[in-house]
Amino acid sequence: MSSRDLQHQVTLLELVDRVLNKGVVLSGDITLSVADVDLVYVGLRVLLSSVATLEEQNAAAIAQGGLR
Amino acid sequence: MIHVYGIVQELSELPQLTGVDGAPLERRRLGGLELVTSDRAEAEITQEAVLDHAAVVEELMCRSAAVLPAQFGRPFGDESELAAAILARAEALARGLERVRGCVEFGVRAAVPADEPEAGSGVAYMRALLAQERAMTKIREPLAELARSATPGAYLVQKDKVSAFRDAVERLTAEHPELTIVCTGPWPPYSFGAEAA
Repeated sequence: MSSRDLQHQVTLLELVDRVLNKGVVLSGDITLSVADVDLVYVGLRVLLSSVATLEEQNAAAIAQGGLR
Repeated sequence: MIHVYGIVQELSELPQLTGVDGAPLERRRLGGLELVTSDRAEAEITQEAVLDHAAVVEELMCRSAAVLPAQFGRPFGDESELAAAILARAEALARGLERVRGCVEFGVRAAVPADEPEAGSGVAYMRALLAQERAMTKIREPLAELARSATPGAYLVQKDKVSAFRDAVERLTAEHPELTIVCTGPWPPYSFGAEAA
């Protein structure tokens, strides 16, 4: 994977993480229906496991005895 | 349903964009705060909806003095529900707007590319871990110094310090060839509104 592709994928990951997990919770109803967002996550999981770029992923791997 | 993009301060004009599902954007005033919303028939989370939401929030960032992005996927049934939720948090939200005013967010992730730890070499493995932890600290501290606020992986940076922040990331990247450093942004301050709610 080129560094430009990596940057693009990480940007997409960071965007989805921010929109869905961060941001101010004003309450309202929690949406349970998730359609095709998992496509993004699947792609990103591949990215993370291949590059081990994110420190949380690294930490998790270390906690599991060096699994990658 | 009412889909909320965020709470804005001094928004010059609505972005020339449609919102999620192609719905027109609207400005609403509630309890001294201004919100940008659109109507939505269904509250489904799709990739397209997430990207459309993000595009609107980014435009709001560019056209306002401050924006507190709302978390996606929490629509309100009607105006009275929305008003009740906002009025109950109006003060905290106003403080949140002040905190992020004039700032953007950067994401900076760093990792030591994972070498396969050798099973028989516990000491070497622990040394590698220690080196990684020290390297992380070296990166976090100089970046946090340039930021108004920092969380693991995210930095709230005043707009006039953006180029200094970027320079610092570049310098750290050059100083630490052993690390993979990925910087993204500028983002709207998604990661720094949590205390407001």
